Amino acid sequence: MTRFFLGLSRLFALMGGIMLTIVIMITSISILGRSLNSLLHSDFFQSALGGLSNWLIDAGIGSIKGDFELVEAAMAFSIFAFIPLTQMTNGHAAVDLFTAWLPKRAQLVLRMLIEILFAVVLVIIAKQLFEGMSSKMRSGQTTFLLEFKVWWAYALSLVPAVVAAVVGIYMALVRTYEAAVGRVIIADEMGAEH
Amino acid sequence: MSTLDIGLLSFPGLLLLIFLRVPIGLAMFVAGFVGLWMINGSPNIAMAKLKSETYGQFSNYSLSIVPIFLLMGHFATLGGMSQALFKAAESWIGHRKGGVAMAAIGACAGFGAICGSSLATAATMGRVALPELRNYGYAGGISTATLAAGGTLGILIPPSVVLVIYAILTEQNIAKLFLAAFIPGLLAALGYIIAISIYVRVHPNAAGTRPRVPYSERFDNLLDVWPVLVVFITVVGGIYGGIFTPTEGASIGALGTGAIAFANGGLNWSTLKESFMVTARSSAMIFLIVLGAGFYNGFLAQSQVPQMASSWVIGQGFSPWTVLVIILGFYLLLGCVMDSLSMILLTIPIFFPVINALDFGMTAEHTAIWFGILVLIVVEVGLITPPVGMNLFIINAMERTTPIVETYKAVTYFVASDLIRTAILVAFPSITLFLLH
Repeated sequence: MTRFFLGLSRLFALMGGIMLTIVIMITSISILGRSLNSLLHSDFFQSALGGLSNWLIDAGIGSIKGDFELVEAAMAFSIFAFIPLTQMTNGHAAVDLFTAWLPKRAQLVLRMLIEILFAVVLVIIAKQLFEGMSSKMRSGQTTFLLEFKVWWAYALSLVPAVVAAVVGIYMALVRTYEAAVGRVIIADEMGAEH
Repeated sequence: MSTLDIGLLSFPGLLLLIFLRVPIGLAMFVAGFVGLWMINGSPNIAMAKLKSETYGQFSNYSLSIVPIFLLMGHFATLGGMSQALFKAAESWIGHRKGGVAMAAIGACAGFGAICGSSLATAATMGRVALPELRNYGYAGGISTATLAAGGTLGILIPPSVVLVIYAILTEQNIAKLFLAAFIPGLLAALGYIIAISIYVRVHPNAAGTRPRVPYSERFDNLLDVWPVLVVFITVVGGIYGGIFTPTEGASIGALGTGAIAFANGGLNWSTLKESFMVTARSSAMIFLIVLGAGFYNGFLAQSQVPQMASSWVIGQGFSPWTVLVIILGFYLLLGCVMDSLSMILLTIPIFFPVINALDFGMTAEHTAIWFGILVLIVVEVGLITPPVGMNLFIINAMERTTPIVETYKAVTYFVASDLIRTAILVAFPSITLFLLH
């Protein structure tokens, strides 16, 4: 079970990373296009190669239209897709100075309660994201430049958000079991970097 | 209970959750959710907010710079830039007394110029420089303390993830903040080098020596750091020059660093996957704190606590400088137990309106930038303050033969240097604002 969920989390982290790479590509291509466009508009190119320059500009050399709308939608997907792995490997920032002296059993119970709370919050987040998507669907709202439906972006994020909620529930079950038997099953990885 | 009471009571409640080891983002989220519920008498408003708020925060264009910078930092490591920097710095100053440690600081500063994260800088440079330091006879304590302190340069020298968050919270210009961070960042590196030279004079046996390197080799090594320079100038220069937005600058930087790492053979499918995993964990951690903080701060704003706090402080007629010193002192204390990003997200919504309402004899924008740099410095001191500075643990874990107490002793020199620098920057705002003029 744990192997399945860890694999699932890594798969989504990988998809998030690929999406992040796509964001980097879109942005970089957009800058390149924009620089070429202003170069073609420059006096030198207009006087020396006016016809060619204008043809290239008409052909669409320029920044990618509405690139930041794509970046935003892709970034939301990435961040949601990053949550399951963080949940599985306990990558969250926390202050453990004041609980370190507690007996082991008490620490396990505390951890169970925290993980249950986390699962509840992740489920609420996923459910409200679905509600948000439904209302965007009803209103038919579109983005400003590309005019794609806003709910598409919500739907894209909903997939990893649901996975995050499921992984959150699984971890809550694991921590409950750990508290019951008094033994750690899934150890934390090294503290997260930031 | 009045709205204001609920707002004020949320502080002890939130602190209790945090001290009970509840992840900080989750704690702020829960405190904000319960607070909104109590103020409005029903959970409906908080639930309605959530319909768009999570997506809104995660898709925030300005914040997208954060995961991109994190990825860029990993690519820089894979591309061997940390080795190249250390080797160059070492060949120039390594033969001096304490020189290898000073070279490590210099290399950290260089790496900080292409990495926005403190822990990543400490971890990367630690892997490169620790074995060398030990090899040349440096004592464990000064070796680990040097790298823990050097790691903070990752965030003090732009680009910096913490500054991005500060800029978004206070609606300041990221480019100007990066520029303002530059001189204080260099002063930090200089201060650490001075701290090392004092340390090796007090403890002459703590540092070994290494032979001089001929100049031809020094220049060869210096040439190897060109990718770092190119990336830094493109990213920070481009952002400041208005050629592209911070997110675009970060993208170009990540692409360039990735290409260099690929060319050096450091980037392949398996290391790329690992970079994604590390970036994923750090990004999700940061964004959950951002989400929780956004929720909590929305609640605080509705409870009127920030407005009350700033009007109370002004009503008391305190001198602005007293207030500033108290706030900075508070960060130093909190920094002993909490991480820098959480502290900034938690406190800036309260402290910033207070600072903004006080008169330091500067424009509002200059005050905001100067205060941002000061806060950046004091929260970073927390990373190297015993007993729980994160950088100390990361580095100490790499050097198992050194007891943490040795690291604690040596790091006091660096903390002292930080405090002196902070005092200087408080007293002379023009040092920070110099490049903006």
